[in-house]
Amino acid sequence: MDVVFGSFPFMIDHLGLLLSSTGDHLVISLIPLLAAIVTGVPIGVWLGHAHRGEFLAVSVTNIGRALPSLALIAILIGFVGIGTLNAVIALFLLAFPPILSYSFQAVDSIDRDLTRAARGMGMSPLQVLLKVELPLGLPMIIAGIRTSAVLTVSSATIATIAGSGGLGDVILNQVAYGMEGVIAGAIWVAVLAILIDQAFALLLRISAPAGVKRLQSANAA
Amino acid sequence: MSDFAPAGDPVIPDYGQASDCVINNGAFCTDWFLSQWSTVFWPPLVSHIVMVAIAVSIGFVIAFGAGLLAYRKKWLAGPIGMAATFLYTLPPLALFQLLVPFTGLSLLTVEIALVCFTLIIIFQAVLVGLSGVPDDVRRAATGMGLDRNQLLFKVELPLALPSIISGLRIATVLTVSIATIAAFVVDDGLGSPIIKAVSSPFNTQFVGAGALAVLLAFALDGLLVLLGRVLTPWTKARS
Amino acid sequence: MTQHSTGTSITFDRATKTYPGAAVPALDALDLEVEAGELVCLVGPSGGGKTTALQLVNRLVDLTSGDIRIGDRSITDQSAIALRRTIGYAIQQSGLFPHYTVADNIATVPVVLGWDKARIRTRTAELLELVGLSPVETWLPRYPAQLSGGQQQRVGIARALAADPPVMLMDEPFGALDPITRVAVQDEFLAIHRAVGKTTLFVTHDIDEAIKMADRIAILKPGGKLAQFDTPANVLSDPADDFVAEFLGAERGLKRLALTTVGEIVTAGTTGAKAATTDGARPSTTGWPDVEATMTLREALSVVSAARADGAIVHSDGSRLGEVSLHDLIAPPAAGEDREGVRA
Repeated sequence: MDVVFGSFPFMIDHLGLLLSSTGDHLVISLIPLLAAIVTGVPIGVWLGHAHRGEFLAVSVTNIGRALPSLALIAILIGFVGIGTLNAVIALFLLAFPPILSYSFQAVDSIDRDLTRAARGMGMSPLQVLLKVELPLGLPMIIAGIRTSAVLTVSSATIATIAGSGGLGDVILNQVAYGMEGVIAGAIWVAVLAILIDQAFALLLRISAPAGVKRLQSANAA
Repeated sequence: MSDFAPAGDPVIPDYGQASDCVINNGAFCTDWFLSQWSTVFWPPLVSHIVMVAIAVSIGFVIAFGAGLLAYRKKWLAGPIGMAATFLYTLPPLALFQLLVPFTGLSLLTVEIALVCFTLIIIFQAVLVGLSGVPDDVRRAATGMGLDRNQLLFKVELPLALPSIISGLRIATVLTVSIATIAAFVVDDGLGSPIIKAVSSPFNTQFVGAGALAVLLAFALDGLLVLLGRVLTPWTKARS
Repeated sequence: MTQHSTGTSITFDRATKTYPGAAVPALDALDLEVEAGELVCLVGPSGGGKTTALQLVNRLVDLTSGDIRIGDRSITDQSAIALRRTIGYAIQQSGLFPHYTVADNIATVPVVLGWDKARIRTRTAELLELVGLSPVETWLPRYPAQLSGGQQQRVGIARALAADPPVMLMDEPFGALDPITRVAVQDEFLAIHRAVGKTTLFVTHDIDEAIKMADRIAILKPGGKLAQFDTPANVLSDPADDFVAEFLGAERGLKRLALTTVGEIVTAGTTGAKAATTDGARPSTTGWPDVEATMTLREALSVVSAARADGAIVHSDGSRLGEVSLHDLIAPPAAGEDREGVRA
């Protein structure tokens, strides 16, 4: 218990260390996350739009979920070596599956009657995608990014075994920082994960099309 | 630099006569994997299974109870869901470490943390399954004179089973994965050979233990699929 | 009404239901006496309180005021659970349990009532025969997902009859069926009703279904008030007010013709009289189409109209029964007064 309280003075004394570790942590989390968004969203949306590749999307998700982050990072030590690149590749591999599968589901699960009606009114496939599928699927796409963002920030903690820096360095270095430092780092990264999760929760609420939101609140009432 | 980061060039473990593969630190040396199976891989695999089984069982009991409660008392669903989501959001390593001051570097610490991560998944699966029972079925059952418990045990829970099983599957696979991180707290489970090999980055040990974890996840997932088939024969009956 | 009646009367005594937060009652002081063995249809627009009236009887909805009695006993005399086990209940979409086989579905109430296995097995087989699902061995082990909509509805009816309840409540039971299946299931249910004589309250939004099925029709109007309660023939010939007339629709006259078969008026010997008097001779029947004696006047009229003829030749079992003129069809002497005849 004392250790927990002791972690707060530690935070004040080592604010510089924690801030720079947080900075590193965000960098090694954000780069793979952005890469996963840039690749996963278009592929998922395209597959969903074409109603193809469900098996691929489901398999990638299942394997992604089963793959322990620790094992992935460790295996990459052997093949990529230690350092930031290792962490970035590992975290990308972890962040990609949820984004792909949510994006796929987001578009694939839209009521076929809606897209049929849109096509029947003379919309081109691109217009159907931009005017119907993307607006309606956006909340779910963002939900996928949210899942991946939390996962990436979480797993970045472990990436420290590959020497990538970040808050994991503090959490796993009891020798240098003592148990107070370990706890301080743990609290810090926990708060970071929760803040990121909540930020996406907010974004999710904003992103729902007005009509859909009204529908949801009407259903909830 | 943490305690775990590699300090220098690979140090090849000398377990007697080393093959070329081991000396060159190849991606996966089958001979070494097989010869070390009973000492390096089998014991952590067993402890990993035990760890996961305990965590998922306890998580199931708690989340199932909470799910039933939230189903009966709808206003509880929000707060319980929020609390469980909060636990789920915590980075596993952080939660392990935060528990250490209270429960020490022990299996108890590991199990508490692992249980925390299963809760929201199973809780939601139970709630979704129960809420998904068609209204006409519930109305017919009530109209025929089934009381609350009969309605729950004869109608609602059986119909919620597919959803509950799929929740259990996700929770199990996830727990297999997170349980590797427990090795930072206790010398148990498949994470332990991985962490031990970090200081002398030895590929076969990483790949072997990692692959075992993935295979274990798929094997347990498959078992639960089979269990689901046995328990819900009506789901595959189609005209 | 029915000779083998095993039913019990249902009495609504100023039965009123006001839902919490609603300004007007869903059902307003309903007085209704359903005789033992009678089939009464509750019809009306949505908001008329017909489903509420039904669900008050098995206490899925609780009375605000007034009373409902089954036989001499108020429904509040016993627990809701015990009450429901003595009432058959069939609803739209059948409400069959997807995880139970046909056998288990039908056995639901007998099992909770603690019947022994042999008795349940006999009863289940008997009911499947009754609803026309035979040989029973083929149907018993199936799941609802393996049945068509019509078959599901038949099992739903068998399940409602399982514990031999004196009273049946049916809430738009055939509402989700396609028109052809619907007619078949309606006919079967009428046959079952005649055979078992359960007092039946039947909710439908389809006035034609009510005219076909009911001994008497109760028409409810918005605000949950009873607009009219009478036999189909009387409702059609004498609507109580503008609401009922409008609800029955402009084809009210034609609907009335659906209450009588051509066989009945031919057998009654009332045909041809008017036509024969015009010039003292029987009119030529050349070019008249053939109709079956089991057809309703409405159907026969349609055949005659399509053939642009002045009448039709009536056949029964392949032999000529007589003929009906156009005039006989549109102005039958006693259309619909013999309800049992229509069903025979």
